[in-house]
Amino acid sequence: MILIQVILIVAFLLLLTRFLVDPNSHQMKAGQKLITVLFFALAIFAVLFPGALNRIAHLVGVGRGADLLLYVLTLTFIFTIFSLYVRDKQNQRQVVALVRRIALIEANQNPHNRPRPKKRTFSEDNAGAG
Amino acid sequence: MNDDVCVIIPIYNEGKVITRTLRGVLKQFPFVVCVNDGSKDNTVEAVSKTSAHLISHFTNMGQGAAIQTGIEYGLQYPDIEYFITFDADGQHRVEDALAMLAYLREHPKTDIVLGSRFLGKTQSIPLIRRILLRLAIWFENATTGAHLTDAHNGLRVFNRKVATQLNIIMPDMAHASEIIHRIIEKKFKYHEFPVTIVYSDYSKAKGQSMANAINISFDILLQEIIRK
Repeated sequence: MILIQVILIVAFLLLLTRFLVDPNSHQMKAGQKLITVLFFALAIFAVLFPGALNRIAHLVGVGRGADLLLYVLTLTFIFTIFSLYVRDKQNQRQVVALVRRIALIEANQNPHNRPRPKKRTFSEDNAGAG
Repeated sequence: MNDDVCVIIPIYNEGKVITRTLRGVLKQFPFVVCVNDGSKDNTVEAVSKTSAHLISHFTNMGQGAAIQTGIEYGLQYPDIEYFITFDADGQHRVEDALAMLAYLREHPKTDIVLGSRFLGKTQSIPLIRRILLRLAIWFENATTGAHLTDAHNGLRVFNRKVATQLNIIMPDMAHASEIIHRIIEKKFKYHEFPVTIVYSDYSKAKGQSMANAINISFDILLQEIIRK
């Protein structure tokens, strides 16, 4: 085995254990987890048998396995960025809702805001809706 | 007088001018809601000295979020029939707001009246701003099918139905475009009204930059993609 293969495989295995041990990974869907493990398995396979990757590349009309790897990597990168963007927007939305809720509660308790007596309270709102 | 109106003023670090703006607005409208969007200056102190209501976001979230908070605060009062959004920096005239409100009262079928500086006689729009605004409205009309002349005017008057359904999600400046999208989507009956914008050095310095306009366009496009 060449040195680079040893380094890559050890790195992949370390990342995989880190990923499986991480307590946050429990929140991940089983399917997502399975795909990630499969992905690591494929990566190790490609490191062990670079010839196989070359053959797959030829099959889809790409000259070298390394080139194929680059294309797939580019796609994965763009996909990751986009899903991170979507998740960031969702997080932002939750923060906005939270800050708004706090601001409204505080404003309703602020004696400075009391000159309007005809105010409906939140509880009345809920009663009316139910 | 105008007891059924809630004026919403989003404020971010406008302590220098808010007192003067509020003095003019409070003369005509008794119920003014100032939404302080995490200002770091004397905004809270300045508003507290007036009879305007004060709501504070503890962190800055953007004008769209501030307007939505103001709407939700105003909606708590069942006797409020009309809502007005008004910029804090003094670029709008109270008489324009009054005229738009009068129009909405006289036309019960209309849901929302939007201010347009291009229908009115605006005091010297800076050239770059003029080009930027023209591009913005062209983009807006092309993507929504609306027929408007001014995309980003902060002066709007709308009824309770619109206030309930507007539900602004875009926290930042993209809310102006979002409102137009929502008008088309919810089939609100809209009307554009000529207004005069007072371009002071202060408001010129605070206005939208080219970079921001591009950011907003991308946000709107991505939002459309994600929603579908």
